[in-house]
Amino acid sequence: MSLSWRLTNAGDRLVGSPDGRVDETTWEAFSGHLTAAVRDAAAAGLPLVVDLTALDYMSSRGLRALTIARREAGEAVSITLAAPNDRMREILAISRYDKLFTITDSVGSAG
Amino acid sequence: MPRDNGMLVRFWGTRGSLPVARPALAIQGKIARALVAAGGRKFNDELEAHAWARSNLEFSTYGSYGGASSCVEIEGGKDCFLVCDMGSGLREFGIDAFRRYAEGHARVYHFFLSHLHWDHIMGFPFFGPAFDPGAKIYIHSGHADAEEALRRQQEEISFPVPFDWLKARFEFITHKPGEPFKVAGVTVTLASQHHSHDSYGYRFEKNGKAVIYSTDSEHKLDNMEDEAFFEAFFRDADLVIFDSMYSLGDTVSLKQDWGHSSNVVAVDLCHAAHAKRLALFHHEPTYSDRDIQRMHGETIRYEELVRADRPALEVLCAYDGLEVRI
Repeated sequence: MSLSWRLTNAGDRLVGSPDGRVDETTWEAFSGHLTAAVRDAAAAGLPLVVDLTALDYMSSRGLRALTIARREAGEAVSITLAAPNDRMREILAISRYDKLFTITDSVGSAG
Repeated sequence: MPRDNGMLVRFWGTRGSLPVARPALAIQGKIARALVAAGGRKFNDELEAHAWARSNLEFSTYGSYGGASSCVEIEGGKDCFLVCDMGSGLREFGIDAFRRYAEGHARVYHFFLSHLHWDHIMGFPFFGPAFDPGAKIYIHSGHADAEEALRRQQEEISFPVPFDWLKARFEFITHKPGEPFKVAGVTVTLASQHHSHDSYGYRFEKNGKAVIYSTDSEHKLDNMEDEAFFEAFFRDADLVIFDSMYSLGDTVSLKQDWGHSSNVVAVDLCHAAHAKRLALFHHEPTYSDRDIQRMHGETIRYEELVRADRPALEVLCAYDGLEVRI
């Protein structure tokens, strides 16, 4: 399965929207998009919301890409995970990433 | 030796970092949970009670993952014992080896050391066959200082019996990663792993079957590209014994650079490698039996969530005494 990525400026935040699946074949592209989005958000002085609505799931490489993005962001950019599906919620809980990132039910409530 | 001429993996120690003993409070909790579950049922004798408990109680209530540190035997070598690491589980293995002497087993041992940290060699001073003048003990390692590590822990400041008092004949053999060698009909290959003072994983192959022993190996955030190497090392393995000491979240935060890995990375590497079975290993010493069982359940669930169109990966949780036929 492929992965696509769309970055939009919602005025008060940047919203990155992965579509598909992040696994051993797509994590590098996902990580590249995320890192670029963090830099764009830092340049614009905006928080970054990762909209997980269209994400099927991400495996550990995708999760670790989130940590790489968090390190790139430092104190300059906050990263929020929004609207994970039920499968993704379970993955975030099992990996304990729900303790590392702020997770919101919808994109509207993030940022 | 297994009857089908394959391999049999027997876990003598599965705990990470430090051996643990369950305190009375934990045993009392198991008894109380068992009594509640029994609900006033009557048993004619202990055998009947065992049979009911085995079928009706959770593993963490009726059983235990145990508390000995790393030691794993692989049966299948011709006329010898094959053993990974010398953690505190080695003591029980040594006692059992004497029992097998009586059945005619050869007194030849091949040890394969992942690394030289204390929890992986602490069983050696209590390994009875080391005092047997009829025993021959080969110690294979990726570390050139393996002999120094074993001698040092028997120096007087740490232990009353110096290494030179041991009666068995010893031979230390240092191997290079990626260069397969044969031991008693089994092909063995080392892989370099990320851990303080280095660690080495082992791939054991015999008659088309493969067992991986990969413990104390951190799969770090900043070199995920290197995981293709481990996918190749684990390729088509029948069993991967994997250090799953922490959660992924812990390995990228508080416990980064502690040299260990997680259950979810274990599943992902095994999926990518098309491995058939995974044994979670090197359990966190602060975990109770219920904690480990919960981690096992979560790992099985994670495997289902990310399996996609791959064949199912069987996820086992190693415990002291577990046997896996390959």
